[in-house]
Amino acid sequence: MDETVAEYIRRTVLKIPRAEIKTMLQKWGFLSEAQLQTLNFHQIKDNISQEVVQLCEENSADIKQAAVLDIIYNHIYQNKKMWSVYQMKKSGEELECFDITDFKKKFKGRLRSALKNVTITFKEYEDNAIWIRVAWGTPYKKPNQYKPSYVVYHSQTPYVFICASVLKSNLPLLCQALIVASNYHDIREMELRSHSLDSLKDIVFKRYSQNFQTYCPKPLQGGNVEPESADIRIVQENRSEKERIHRLNWEVFGGGPQPKLEFAQYKLETMFKSDPKMGVLDKKEPFRCLVKFSSPHLLESLKSLAPAGMADAPLSPLLTCIPHKARNYFKIREKKGLFPESFVSP
Amino acid sequence: ENVDLQKTAFLLRKAWTLYSVTPLYRFHRARLRDYARLLSAFIAAEKQKGLAVEVGVELDIKVAVSSLADLRGSEQDQAAVLVQLSLRSRASSRNSEDKLVWLGWFCSVYGDDLSENLPEDFTCLPLFLTHGAESYTSMVGSWFQKTFDCCFRRLAISPLNLSWMVAMWAGCKLDRAASAVELVFSVPHLSQPLDISYAIHPEDAKALWDTVQKTPGEITQEEVDVFMDCLYAHFHRHFKIHLSAAKLVKVSTAVASAHCDGIVKILHSQYLLGVLMLLTELAISQIQ
Repeated sequence: MDETVAEYIRRTVLKIPRAEIKTMLQKWGFLSEAQLQTLNFHQIKDNISQEVVQLCEENSADIKQAAVLDIIYNHIYQNKKMWSVYQMKKSGEELECFDITDFKKKFKGRLRSALKNVTITFKEYEDNAIWIRVAWGTPYKKPNQYKPSYVVYHSQTPYVFICASVLKSNLPLLCQALIVASNYHDIREMELRSHSLDSLKDIVFKRYSQNFQTYCPKPLQGGNVEPESADIRIVQENRSEKERIHRLNWEVFGGGPQPKLEFAQYKLETMFKSDPKMGVLDKKEPFRCLVKFSSPHLLESLKSLAPAGMADAPLSPLLTCIPHKARNYFKIREKKGLFPESFVSP
Repeated sequence: ENVDLQKTAFLLRKAWTLYSVTPLYRFHRARLRDYARLLSAFIAAEKQKGLAVEVGVELDIKVAVSSLADLRGSEQDQAAVLVQLSLRSRASSRNSEDKLVWLGWFCSVYGDDLSENLPEDFTCLPLFLTHGAESYTSMVGSWFQKTFDCCFRRLAISPLNLSWMVAMWAGCKLDRAASAVELVFSVPHLSQPLDISYAIHPEDAKALWDTVQKTPGEITQEEVDVFMDCLYAHFHRHFKIHLSAAKLVKVSTAVASAHCDGIVKILHSQYLLGVLMLLTELAISQIQ
C-alpha cells in the first residue's frame, strides 16, 4: 500500500471522535466485521489509527477507498464546512430521465480531459443526494488529497451545493463538468452561503414552513402574548400592539422552525437622507456601508426582534426575504423613480 | 506634541488591555533598576509557589523597567514608565536572544485633573496598558500594589464613550487610504443572540462628521449624538431595527479600535497622544 494512502487514512481516522470510529468504519465497509473485532477502541486514537492502517494494508487499500472514508466523514460532519449554492439552468423543456451511470461517466470524462491528475469519488445517499469528492492535482503533481472539493447534487433538482476548498481556480472546471454531466447548459452561483447544508436545502427546496398571503389564520391560542393575570388590577398594556406584532411575525415567518443560517450581509449603496433642518450631509453620492448580521440561528433571532421591542413590525423586507429569495448576500441600491423609499437588490 | 516615532512604534497595532491605577506612593524614578530586580525576584518567588506552569527547561524571567520621556502630554504629566518581561532560557549558555513575553506601561497624557492636588509623595500615572498573558499581568499588578500602595481596576468603556471615540476618530484626517469605520453591536437578550456589524466607508463617515461638527478642534456631546443618530436613522430606514436599543460593544477606525471590555488598539502614530489623552481621561473618571 502506498505510504501516502496510509498516511491519509491515518489522518482521516484521527479526525473522527473516538466513540464514532467503529460506526464509521462499519459504514465504510472496507474492513470486514472480523477485522473490526480485532481493533481495540479503548486505546488512544494514535494507536487506533495505526491499527486501522495496518488492517487496510492487509486489504491493499488504495486512494479510491480512502476517499470514500473521507466522504463518509464529511457527510456526517457536513456542518464543519462552508457551503455555497449553485443553480443550473436547462435550455429547453426536455425532461430527461436521470441516469446515474451516465452522469458519473460524463463528469469524470469532462474533468479528466482537462486535468490528468484528479481523484474523483462518488457516493449516493438515500435522500437522492449524490456526494462527489474531487482532489485536484496539476499536470506535474499528484492530487492534493487534503484539500478536496465536495459537491452535493440532488438529481431531481437544478441545485448543487459546493464546498470549494481553497483551490478556487478549479471552480470553473468543476462547474463545467457538472453541467455537462447533468445535461444543463448554464450554472450560476447564488448569493447564499451557510455551514448548515440542511438549512440551505430547506431554503432552496422550500421545505421550511412558509406562509402564503392568501391564507390568514387566527394566531395560535395562547401564542407568545402573556396570559391574563388573575388579578383584575393588573392590566396588559399595549396588549393589542403585542398581538399585532405577533400576528405580523406569524404572517412573515410562519409557525414552524426557520432554516438555520449564521449570517446575512448587505452592501448598501443608497443615499443618505436626513431632515434638512439638521443641516447634515446632503451628498449626491451614495453613503457606502457594509452591514453584517451574525447569530447562531439568524432567522430565529430576527424573528424575535420585534416582540423584544428592538424593531418595528413588520420587519424590513430586506431581512424577511432571505428564505424565499434564497440569498444571504445582498447589494442594495436606491430605486429611482416612483418609489424613492424602496430598494433594488440586483 | 513631538513623539519619537521610532521609540513608540512598539505601541502601535497591539491589543492593549486597559486599567486605571490610583497614584503610586513613594515611586522614585531614580530607582527603576532596583524595582526591576525586586519585581524579578517577586516573580521568581511566585513561580516557585507554583502559580505559573512550567514545562521542560527552566526559564528565567528578565525584568526591565524604563522611563519613556516623550510619552506624556504636558510638562505636568509624569513621563510614562515601561515594564518589559522577557524569557531567557538557561539551557543555552550563549547570549541567545531574549523573547519578549509581556509588556506593560503606565502613562498620563494631560492628566492634570488628578495630579493637580496631590501631595508630593504621590506619582500620578492613571492609565496602565498591558499586552501578554494574564498571569504575568496579575503578578506585576500585585507587586506594584504591594510596593506602592496603589489599586488597579479594569477599565470598562461605556457605549457613550465608544460613540465619542468613533465620532472623533472618524473625523480624523489621514494621509493614506483608511480602513472602514465600523461599529459592532450586540443584542444579547433574544432567543438567539445577534451581532450586527455596521461598517461605513471612511470617506463617507468623515464627510458626515464634517457636516455635523460646527467648531473645528472642539467636540460637543450634542454633535456626537447627532452623528450617531444619523447612523442609526440610516440603518433604521433600511432594516426597521432600532440600533440605538442595541449594545455598542466595539468601534474600529483607521486611527484606533476600542472594545467595551477595555481593550484598545492604536493604529496610527499621528493620533497616538490624542487617543492616550482620551483614555487617560477615562481612567481618571474611573478613579474619582
